[in-house]
Amino acid sequence: MFFSSGFRIMSTVSMEPLLHHSVRESVRYALKSRIFKPSSWSCSTNHKLVFHARSFCNFRSSNVHALRASTTTDTDLVETLESTDIFFKETFPLKRMETVEGKIFIRLDHGQNNGNWQLTVGCNLPGKWILHWGISRVKYVGSEWDQPPEEMRPRGSIPIKDYAIETPLKKSSSSEGDALHEVKIDLIPTSAIAAINFVLKDEETGAWYQHRGRDFKVPLADYLLDDGNLVAAKRSFGVWPGALGPLSNLLIKAEVSPANDSESSNESREAKKKGRSLEGFYEEQPIAKQVAFDNSVTVSVRKCPETAKNLLYVETDLPGDVFIHWGVCRDDTKTWEIPDAPHPPETISFRDKALQTRLQPKEIGDGCCGLFTIEEGLQGFLFVLKLNKGTWLNCMGNDFYIPLSRSSSLLAKSRQGLSGSAQILEKNAEEKEEASLSAYTSGIINNIRSLVSDISSEKTRKNKSKEAQESILQEIEKLAAEAYSIFRSSIPTFLEEPIVDTEEPIAPAKISSGTGTGFEILCQGFNWESHKSGRWYMELKERASELSSLGFTVIWLPPPTESISPEGYMPRDLYNLNSRYGNVDQLKEVVKTFHEVGIKTLGDAVLNHRCAHYQNQNGVWNIFGGHIKWDDRAVVADDPHFQGKGNKSSGDNFHAAPNIDHSQDFVRKDLREWLCWLRKEIGYDGWRLDFVRGFWGGYVKDYLEASAPLFAVGEYWDSLSYTYGEMDHNQDGHRQRIIDWINATNGTAAAFDVTTKGILHSALERCEYWRLSDQKGKPPGVVGWWPSRAVTFIENHDTGSTQGHWRFPGGKEMQGYTYILTHPGTPTVFYDHIFSHYRSEIAALISVRNRNEIHCRSTVKITKAERDVYAAIVGEKVAMKIGPGHYEPSGPQRWSLAAEGKDYKVWETS
Amino acid sequence: MEASVICSSQAKIRKTELAYRELGCFDPKGVSKAFSAKSRVCFSPSTMWRKAGIRFTLRAVQSEAVRSEKVSGPSRMSKSRDGVRLFVGLPLDAVSDCNTVNHARAIAAGLKALKLLGVEGVELPVWWGIVEKEAMRKYEWSGYLALAKMVQDAGLKLHVSLCFHASKQPKIPLPKWVSRIGESDPNIFFTDGAGQHYKECLSLAVDDLPVLDGSTPIQVYHEFCESFKSSFSPFMGSTLTGISMGLGPDGELRYPSHHMLTKSNQIPGVGEFQCYDKNMLGILKQHAEATGNSLWGLGGPHDVPTYDQSPNSNNFFRDNGGSWDSPYGDFFLSWYSNQLISHGNRLLSLAASTFSESAATVCGKIPLMHSWYKTRSHPSELTAGYYNTTTRDGYEVVAEMFARNSCKMILPGMDLSDEHQSHESLSSPEFLLADIKKACRKHGVEVCGQNSSASMAPGGFEQIKKNLLGENIVDLFSYQRMGAYFFSPEHFPSFTGFVRSLNQPELHSDDLPEEEEEAAGSLNVSSEASVHMQAV
Repeated sequence: MFFSSGFRIMSTVSMEPLLHHSVRESVRYALKSRIFKPSSWSCSTNHKLVFHARSFCNFRSSNVHALRASTTTDTDLVETLESTDIFFKETFPLKRMETVEGKIFIRLDHGQNNGNWQLTVGCNLPGKWILHWGISRVKYVGSEWDQPPEEMRPRGSIPIKDYAIETPLKKSSSSEGDALHEVKIDLIPTSAIAAINFVLKDEETGAWYQHRGRDFKVPLADYLLDDGNLVAAKRSFGVWPGALGPLSNLLIKAEVSPANDSESSNESREAKKKGRSLEGFYEEQPIAKQVAFDNSVTVSVRKCPETAKNLLYVETDLPGDVFIHWGVCRDDTKTWEIPDAPHPPETISFRDKALQTRLQPKEIGDGCCGLFTIEEGLQGFLFVLKLNKGTWLNCMGNDFYIPLSRSSSLLAKSRQGLSGSAQILEKNAEEKEEASLSAYTSGIINNIRSLVSDISSEKTRKNKSKEAQESILQEIEKLAAEAYSIFRSSIPTFLEEPIVDTEEPIAPAKISSGTGTGFEILCQGFNWESHKSGRWYMELKERASELSSLGFTVIWLPPPTESISPEGYMPRDLYNLNSRYGNVDQLKEVVKTFHEVGIKTLGDAVLNHRCAHYQNQNGVWNIFGGHIKWDDRAVVADDPHFQGKGNKSSGDNFHAAPNIDHSQDFVRKDLREWLCWLRKEIGYDGWRLDFVRGFWGGYVKDYLEASAPLFAVGEYWDSLSYTYGEMDHNQDGHRQRIIDWINATNGTAAAFDVTTKGILHSALERCEYWRLSDQKGKPPGVVGWWPSRAVTFIENHDTGSTQGHWRFPGGKEMQGYTYILTHPGTPTVFYDHIFSHYRSEIAALISVRNRNEIHCRSTVKITKAERDVYAAIVGEKVAMKIGPGHYEPSGPQRWSLAAEGKDYKVWETS
Repeated sequence: MEASVICSSQAKIRKTELAYRELGCFDPKGVSKAFSAKSRVCFSPSTMWRKAGIRFTLRAVQSEAVRSEKVSGPSRMSKSRDGVRLFVGLPLDAVSDCNTVNHARAIAAGLKALKLLGVEGVELPVWWGIVEKEAMRKYEWSGYLALAKMVQDAGLKLHVSLCFHASKQPKIPLPKWVSRIGESDPNIFFTDGAGQHYKECLSLAVDDLPVLDGSTPIQVYHEFCESFKSSFSPFMGSTLTGISMGLGPDGELRYPSHHMLTKSNQIPGVGEFQCYDKNMLGILKQHAEATGNSLWGLGGPHDVPTYDQSPNSNNFFRDNGGSWDSPYGDFFLSWYSNQLISHGNRLLSLAASTFSESAATVCGKIPLMHSWYKTRSHPSELTAGYYNTTTRDGYEVVAEMFARNSCKMILPGMDLSDEHQSHESLSSPEFLLADIKKACRKHGVEVCGQNSSASMAPGGFEQIKKNLLGENIVDLFSYQRMGAYFFSPEHFPSFTGFVRSLNQPELHSDDLPEEEEEAAGSLNVSSEASVHMQAV
C-alpha cells in the first residue's frame, strides 16, 4: 500500500477546522516568554570585543566595594587591561539549549505580479524549514494529499513520492526587520484545488510542526472558483468540516454534512459570515523550538602587585541571571575548596563545597560579570555556571579550571577527577551534554539515556522487570546493526560481498525467507481495482494454472483482512478475513489452488497500523476491538492524531491510522500469533509486508522468525534524491536506507528495489541509459549491492493501476521487464502487465530467465552504459540490451537471439 | 575490621556518586542510602563472600580496585572475587595512519552498544608506526586522544596496547624511519636459518645497541612511553586503566618462529629458531665461549625441521633421542629462552617504572604455542622461545619475571579447546593454558584473558566461560575484536548471549542497589582499600 491510499480515506475524516480564526485579523498570541528575535542573539566576536572595553567601566563602578584594595586595584586594572600583568586570559565557548518561542504564520493575499492569489507560509524561528505540502482537489472529495500541478511548485520543490511536495523556506525579513523564513505559493485559479494541506518540518531537528496535532489546512475551493468568474459574491474561506467519526463510518458518511459536529459547524458559519468582507487572511500559530545558543565566558587573571593576590575577572554574554558556582584548589588534584572570606557580594555557600555568586549585570550591553580576589598560594580556580532555570554550563563536560600561578600551564585544563562537588553539579548533565552532541548521535544517545533513566527509575522501585532487559537488548541490537552497516560499508570488501555471494554454488534446498529458493519470480496478483468485483479470489483462482505455466513461482495476494478501505490497507479486525476480495473460505480455496499448481502465496500483511473500533474518552479513535483487543497503549505516542500511550515510533508514521507500537511485548506477541495463525489457517507461504518504514526492521526479524515464511519482502519506500528537480545519478543514499532496513531484519526479509525503479524511470524516460551503471560499474539499485535481497519491480498497485502515483514511463514497460527479468534479484511482474498485450513478451523473458537459471545472486557484467543503450551480460549465459542504441554481444561464447522487442534484445549462449 | 568498614564507607560513597554521575541525575538521598547500606556490610559479611563469580556491571564502578592494585600487591588475588571484567578490542586500524579515527560513527555506536551490554571497557592498539611515523621523537597522538575521548564519553574504561611491531592485515608498518634504517641494516630484524628477515619488529638482540640513529631501541621505546604518558595524563587512572607493553611479534613475548607458515589449512609446523641475525649470533658466540663450549656458539641446531614440517621430520625434536634432550640442546634452548626472558624483563621494567605513578596496570602478553604440546619436546614452544618440555617447566621463570615487575600477564587462546584441535597437530591449548596459569598462580601474577584473534572457534564462547568461571586467577577478559564481523548477524547475537550468560543471574541485580549485592561490592572494595591504606 501506499501513503496516499491512506489519505484518500483520511480526507473525509478530515481535521478540525484548522483556521477557525481565519477571519480575524492577525491574532496575536500572548507568548509566555519573549518572542524570539534572532538579531538580539547574535553574539559575534565584534560584539564581544566591544564588551571588553565597556564592561570594564561597568565593572569598576558596580563592583568596587568587593575589592579590599579598591583604589589601587582599580587603577591597576585600568592600566593593565592591555598590559602583560594579565597572565591568563581565555574565552570559553558556551553552548546551551533554550526553548524559544516564535510563530508560524500563514497569509493569503494577492501576489505582487499577476494578481493571483498567493499563499505565504513562514516562520520567524531560525532553522532549516521545509514545507511539506500537498493539495486536495475539488473533484476527488476523498483525496487528502495529492501533488500540486508543476506550475504551482516554487523553485527548489522536491516531490515526495507522489503525494506531497517539499519546499524549503527561504530567508527573508519582515517589515520590522526581523529575520524570518517563508515560502510563497502562487495559486492557479483554474486548477480546481480544494485545499492546501501542509505541515512544517525543521530539518535541523527533524521536528514536524502541525496545527493542533493535525495538518494545517487552507481551504480554497469556493474562493478560487468564485474569484475566477469575477463575481466575487462570496470571497471567503470555507472551513473544512471537522473530524467526523470513526474511519469505518467515513465511507457512509462522506456525503453527510458536518452538522452533527456543532463546534466546527459553528465556527465554519462564523468564518463564512465574517469572511465575506475580507480579501485574504493572516493567521499565526505560536510554536516553540529548542535552539542551541552560542555564548562565551571570558576569564582573565592578573596579579595585584601590592597584595600578591590574584584578581580574577569573569564576564559572559549569557542573558538573564547567571550564577557562578566556584571554588579554589590547592594542588593538582583539583579538589574543590571554599576560599577564605571575604567573598564577593551575593555569595552563598553551597553544600559546604563551593560558593555560589550571582554575577552582576553589566551596565551596558547584555551579559554580566564578576570579580574575585583570590589569596596567593592557591593553584587554581574552579567554576561552573548556572543559569536561572537550573541549567548548568561547564567546560566540555568538566569544570572550568583556571590556573592561578604563572608557572602553571596557561592553558585551562579541564579536570578529570571526580570531586564531591562535581557530582553535585552533574544533576543537569543531560542538558549540558545535549548541547555538545552532534546531530547524528543525539538520537541514539537520547534513546540510551531514556533507557538508562528507565533503569534508574526502576532501580528506585527495585523493579527488575524483564521488559527493561528486553528494551536494552533491543537498543543494543539497533546500535550493533548501525555499527555493522558502517563497518561493512567502510571496509573495501563490502562491494565484493555480493559477488562472494554469487560464487557460492546455490543449493536449491537452501531456502531462506530473505531469498526464497533464489530462483523465485513473483507475480503481483491484484491491482487497485481488484476489490470491486467482490470475488477477486475466485477470478484469480481461474488463472492459477496459467500463471504457473508462465513460470511464476510466487504470487502476492491482496491484503486479506477486514479493512476500512476496500483495497484492504486499513485493516481493523485482523482475524476477520472476509474482505472485498472474497470471504475466508474463498481465500483458503485460492491458496490451495495455487499450491496445487506449484505457486507459493504471499499474504499482504499490514503491520504498521491498524484502524480502531472505538473512541477513547477524548473522542480519538484508538481503542481496538475484534479478536485483538488493544487500547491506546498499543499506539505509538508520537503521532498526535491518535493520542497513543505507547512508546515513540521506531520508524516513520503513517498518518491516516493509529500506528502500532511494536516495541511492546504484548503487541508483538499478538502479531506473531496472528502471522502464525495465517500461516497455518490459510496456508500462506510468506509475506509481503506493507509500509515497513513505519517500524524498526528488528521487529520484522522477530515476526519472521516466529512465522518462518518461505519468502518475505518488505515495502520500504521513500523518495530518491533530487537536485533542482532532477534525479541524482548517485542514489547510494537511497539504496543504503533500504539495505539498512534489510540489515535490521538480519537479512530475513528482502525489500522492493525502489531505487532500481526510480533509476529506470529517468534512464528510459530521458534516454539516459548511462544512469544504469553506478560509479563502480555495478547496477545502481539495491540489486547492485545486495542482489539476493532485492525484489525488483517496475509497477505495482500504487505506482500504476488506476492510482498512477509514480507510473513507469509509458510504452517502455518491456524495457523495464527486460532489465529486471534478466538481472539478479527477484523480479516481480505486475498483474496488469501480465494480462495485457505484453503478455507473450513477458512470457518469453521469463522462460529465458528460467532456462538459463538466472537467480537472485547471478553475476552482472555491464558491457555498455551510454546515452542511448545499456547492455549487460548476466551469469555469462545471457546478454541483454535496452535502449535505441546499437549493441551486439561478443566474446568467446556463441550468442543467439532469445527475445526481442521495441528497443530491447536478449541473447543466450547456444 | 573496623578500619575496613570505615574505608568501605568511603569507597561506597564514591561508588554511589559515580553511579549517579553516570546516570546523569543526582539524588542526594542516594548518598545517605549508601551510608545506611554500609552498616549491612558489617553485619552480613558471610553472604558476600559466597557471591564470588562473574559480575558485569553496566557502570564502571571498579576503578578504585584497579588503582589500589598496584600498591597492594599481595592482596591481588582477593580482587578476582569481584568478578571478571570484560573488555572488547577496538579495530586494529581504529586510527588511520593520518591520525584520524576510522569509522568513527561505527565505533561510537559500537561503544554505546558495549556500554549497554555491560562491557567494562575497550582495548585500543596504539601503533608505533602511526604515532612516531615520520621521524624519531616526532609524536602525533591526536587520533588516539580523540578515540580515548570517545571512550571516555561512552563511560567505558580504556586499556591501551602499545604496539612496537607492524601488522600485515590491516597493513600497519613500522615507522618509516625505522624501515629505512632496516633497509640499510637488516640485522636489526629477526633472521632465520635461511637468512630470511622478519621485518615486522626489531630483533631483541638490538635492544641495547644504538642502531636507531644513535639511540637504542629501548631508549626509543622509553621515550615513546613517556610521551604517551604525558599525552594521556588526562585519562590516566580514570578512563585509562591498563597499558600493555608490546614485547615482540604481534605484541607477544616470543620469537617470530612461525611467520613463514604458508599453507593456512595445514597442520602448523614446528617453526624455526630465529637466532641468525648478526647480533644474535654474536651473543650466542660470546655465551658459548664463556661457558667453554665455543663450538656450540657458531649457530643454531643443525638438525631442525623447517617451518611447515612436523617434529619428526628431523632429529632435533624427536620424542626419543632427539637432540633437544642432549647437553647441547639444553645449552642452546636455555640460552635462546633466556634471551627472550631478559628482553621481556627489559621492556616490562621499563614500562613498570614509566607508569609506576600512573595508576594504570601494566601488562605484557605471552603466546599460547599449543601445537605439538602432546609431544615430549613441545617444539612450537621451543622455537618461540619457551623452554617448556615434558621434563622442564618453562613458564615458572616467565611468571617470576612478570611478578618481579608487578605486571599482569595477557594470555590468549582462552577460546580454544582440545577437542576442536586437529588430531594430527598433537595440540593441547587447555593443558598449556593450565600450565601457564599454574605458574602465574604460584608467583601471584594476575592473568588477563584473550581469545585467539581468529574468528571465534566452534564452542569458543563455552570454552571462554569455562576458563573464566573455573579459575579465579583471571580477572579481566579482553575479547578480540570489534569490526564488521563482530557486529555481524552471524556473530553479535552469540557474543551478546555470551555476555548475558556470564552474568545471567545478575544482569540487573548488578545494576540495582539491592542491599546484598551492593554490600558484596563494597566489602570487596573495602578489603582493597584497607590494604591500600596500610601500604601507603
